[in-house]
Amino acid sequence: MFKHDQWVRPDLKRYRGLLVWSLILGVLTFVCAGALMFTSGFLIDKSATKPLFAAIYVVVVLTRGFGIGRPVFQYVERLTSHNWVLRVTSHMRKKLYTVLETDAPFVQEHHQTGDILNLLADDIGHLQNLYLRTVFPTVVAGLVSIVATLLLGWFDWKFALWILLLLIAQVVLLPWWSFLMKRRQQRQQKQLSNAAYVGMTDAVLGLSDWVIGQREQAFLTTATQSAQALAASKQKSRRFGFSRDFWLQVVFLLLPLSLLVWTNLYWTGSQTLANWVGAFVLVVFPLNQAFNGVSQGVSELPGYEDSIQHLNSLSPVVRQLPVQLPAPTTIDQLRLENVHFQYDANSELLLNGINLTLESGAKIALLGPSGMGKTTLLQLILGDLTPTSGQVALNGTDVLAYQEHRAQIFAVLDQKPFLFQTSIANNVRLGNEDATDDEILAALDAVQLGSLIARLPQGINTPMAEAGFGFSGGEQQRLALARIMLQQAPIVLLDEPTVGLDPQTEQALIETIFEVLADRTVLWITHHLQGVQHVDGVIFLEDGQLAMDGTPAALYAENGRYRHLYALDAGQE
Amino acid sequence: MLDKQLFALSGIRQTLTVLAGLTLGQAFVILGQGYFLAQAIVLSWQRQPLSHLTGAIIGFALCFLARQGFNWLKSRVADRFASRNSQDLQQQLLQHTFLLGPSLVAQQGTGNLVTMALDGMPEVQNYLQLILNKILNLSIVPWVLLIYVFFENLTAGITLLLMFPVIILFMVILGLAAQKKSDEQYAGFQAMSNHFIDSLRGLKTLQLLGMSRKYADNVYQVSEDYRKQTMSVLTIAMLSGFALDFFTTLSIAVVAVFLGLDLMNGVMPLFPAMVTLILAPEYFTPLREFGSDYHATLDGKNALTAVNEILAQPVPEQQTEPLTPWQADSQLELHKVAVDYDNKRHLEFDDLTVRGYQKIALIGPSGAGKSTLLNVLGGFLDPAAGSLNVDGVALTSLRHEDWQSQLSYIPQSPYIFAASVADNIRFYQPQATAAEVDAAVATAGLTSWLETLPDGLQTRIGEGGRGISGGQAQRIALARTLLDTQRRIWLFDEPTAHLDIETEAALKETMLPLFANRLVIFATHRLHWLNQMDWVVVIDDGKIVMQGKPADLAQDEQYQQLITKLRGDFDV
Repeated sequence: MFKHDQWVRPDLKRYRGLLVWSLILGVLTFVCAGALMFTSGFLIDKSATKPLFAAIYVVVVLTRGFGIGRPVFQYVERLTSHNWVLRVTSHMRKKLYTVLETDAPFVQEHHQTGDILNLLADDIGHLQNLYLRTVFPTVVAGLVSIVATLLLGWFDWKFALWILLLLIAQVVLLPWWSFLMKRRQQRQQKQLSNAAYVGMTDAVLGLSDWVIGQREQAFLTTATQSAQALAASKQKSRRFGFSRDFWLQVVFLLLPLSLLVWTNLYWTGSQTLANWVGAFVLVVFPLNQAFNGVSQGVSELPGYEDSIQHLNSLSPVVRQLPVQLPAPTTIDQLRLENVHFQYDANSELLLNGINLTLESGAKIALLGPSGMGKTTLLQLILGDLTPTSGQVALNGTDVLAYQEHRAQIFAVLDQKPFLFQTSIANNVRLGNEDATDDEILAALDAVQLGSLIARLPQGINTPMAEAGFGFSGGEQQRLALARIMLQQAPIVLLDEPTVGLDPQTEQALIETIFEVLADRTVLWITHHLQGVQHVDGVIFLEDGQLAMDGTPAALYAENGRYRHLYALDAGQE
Repeated sequence: MLDKQLFALSGIRQTLTVLAGLTLGQAFVILGQGYFLAQAIVLSWQRQPLSHLTGAIIGFALCFLARQGFNWLKSRVADRFASRNSQDLQQQLLQHTFLLGPSLVAQQGTGNLVTMALDGMPEVQNYLQLILNKILNLSIVPWVLLIYVFFENLTAGITLLLMFPVIILFMVILGLAAQKKSDEQYAGFQAMSNHFIDSLRGLKTLQLLGMSRKYADNVYQVSEDYRKQTMSVLTIAMLSGFALDFFTTLSIAVVAVFLGLDLMNGVMPLFPAMVTLILAPEYFTPLREFGSDYHATLDGKNALTAVNEILAQPVPEQQTEPLTPWQADSQLELHKVAVDYDNKRHLEFDDLTVRGYQKIALIGPSGAGKSTLLNVLGGFLDPAAGSLNVDGVALTSLRHEDWQSQLSYIPQSPYIFAASVADNIRFYQPQATAAEVDAAVATAGLTSWLETLPDGLQTRIGEGGRGISGGQAQRIALARTLLDTQRRIWLFDEPTAHLDIETEAALKETMLPLFANRLVIFATHRLHWLNQMDWVVVIDDGKIVMQGKPADLAQDEQYQQLITKLRGDFDV
């Protein structure tokens, strides 16, 4: 799973100093823990020979020293490792953001199912745990094993080899077995977990249908069948963990047993030697904790596999764009010249020869059934998509040449403007970083939110999370509109900004929109005809082409279909 | 210390008894393990040959294995208890959800409820599994060991005994400060992770505003600020773990030194000293373990509390008086009805009578109470007061099988199940034949769309399946209803609010002929539907302000004003 990895390995190189420190501290923690038992054991054995106090003085001091050293090292180690992980996390967050940023216009569409954006953010959290729960403990246990073997080897290298064998069983073999088992279960559990999610969602979101369908039993089955299969599978995993822990301890038992035999055979030549027996036997027990963590940590590895795969599967989107030009100071004309578009060679032609000219200051409404390419047309105008043939031109230059400075040309108000979890002022200021508080207040007044915000305890500095509760759909659109006002872009594209609002709110919002955007060029995609008299032209997009085209009054007078829709919308038919 | 909720779980007493027995057994083998180990070491120290150690070594090995065996058993027992209870809880939660109906879902939020039922249960299971053994270990193991140590060496026993409250005291002092910090940090973590998700979700907006590239540094900066904040919190939060470690290792060191001094003075022989030294760490182990996994247990405890809160909500009473099927001359009367939820009055009116196959429009601003009325009519919400009467049968609510089996309820976005189109249509009538499904499909105007799909009726839609438009979802919901000919009462909650005018016009053409011989109650903002209705109910601010035939109402000045407002600036 670490082949071609771009997310874990590069980070191991970052802040190497901190990383090395935290590993050294981790080893020192266990060295101290072992040394504490070692010196204590020696102290007692030696004391039992009733020596002079001076003979054990050093040992007494060492015992205290190791007693204090262990918790201190552990404390510092935990702080260091967390610090390292959090630093790396900041980099990973930025990296994830930067990769997704290259696909910004489509990031929602490409990562929508199952809320992948959430998952990706969680994945970074999982990688934190990978370091703290798996990588660090394993490396530390490995280093401790090496240190222990080397120290023992100083006395008796053959015995040290035997101990090394036992240590390898605990730090490598058992964790490996555990990893393989867990990986198999993980695959099954992943499928079950998806099914459980779908079942539960179907049950809860479709509840009114289940209730009036009176299908309680089927409801319960749908909701819990996969969830229970998942629970059963997880129980199996846990049970495996319990027995693995047992066998791990059985292998561990061989360590003190070996030491008991070895010390009896080789350390009883004289009383001076025999004084070391307790020390050599007791030293091993604190290490148990180090080995335990490894199997647990390694068995969690398969769980991180998905996270690593998710992150590695992301790659930046690279577009072929012409040489980028600075944004023109004034825009006289936006022209669509014979624009054709299809998503790929096999899909149908969505737009089939669109010709449209928007003169500066024009207000045009674009209508048409859903799924007919209205939003695609908008993305072509913005330059998020490249036409299959034809071009979108600003003052005669291809719009694709202005992508770097696009925000100075176009502003967009869409169905669900995104408001960030920060203050109201910061949200509005996103339109123009240099805007003063007065300019923000003026913009909020213009979109008629002034009095509402004046009533909030912290005014424009109220966090959205607290104010958001009170903001209705219409008010959220108004906030986004204030943001656009500060952005000062000459062309504003409206993408069905009033969908889902009730007619009164809708009407009021439309009026505000056209009032504050009086001096801008506006292309308004709308799903019905409310407010249509604010525009100078109406166009219909149908079957990839522009159908009706004319002023609202002319269309009403001449076009039967327009009249029919108008009457329907006005409640006349 | 013990969460009261635990005692309400089934089999808790039995499980606790079994676990307590096992823990007691375990305490004795831990003692045995230390005893035999000390014996073996002392024998070696006395330079006895290996053969003299055999008994002690075997004793040590057996006790060690028995201890691990007890661990295994205890985990299994606790796991079985925890699994069974968390699954029961899940089952109960869903049963309760079904009985309380959509109003519970609205109150809890769908995402919240799904998360609670799916992710909450493993958390509960984890909590139950950890907490019982932790508590039992702490209340049994140290004390068995301590009593033995007292018999062997009084000074060591007193030292260990005194250290216990000292550690707990420090844990409490540091722990309280640290816990508070730690909880704050936990909240901070949520805020941070929200900020990050926020930046990913808002990427498109940021890009449109020309800010997306610059924002990468902001993402890094916020994350780094959070790190600094976290580190300052962790510095304190980890002190409680430090204190625990510090005092336990220090006590072991102190005990070792005391024992050494006693030995040198010849007050005691080696064996009691050795056994005490070996048992000292074991004495503190349960206390150490008790503090670990704090957040895991906290999450589980909170999840358990949340589920119990829902289970504590009283189940509304099902109405059982038999009802005759709705007919042309049927009549539903609602009198002095008041509806509350979230401790607030949402709707209140004197009289509303619904007759036969009327077509009734509910109009009024958003939040006025139209959906509340539909929820009452659907039997999803019980009125707090008032009388209801269906063809002479007095009821307190419409939560009634006979009533709901005649209903169809179509909201703004009908729910599409993760299944084939055919199974979605068969939802109320799983036994319907292919011919019946085809007929419903044709009537609902789905035929031409299905023809464009390679898999036709077998195409999978809903979560993980093919995406469908709002108009198609409405038509599927219609077909679903049409398949069950019993369902003659149709409730609509703004079914066309999200549709463009042409899609709506086409859907309307499909729907109008189907309204014949059905009772239709239709909440809408779109005025053109009023032309096909024969009764209009105007709701504003939780009250019925007007009702009557459209033609009669049209004479009313107030009504005209309302219509003008709803119409906006259409100059007709």
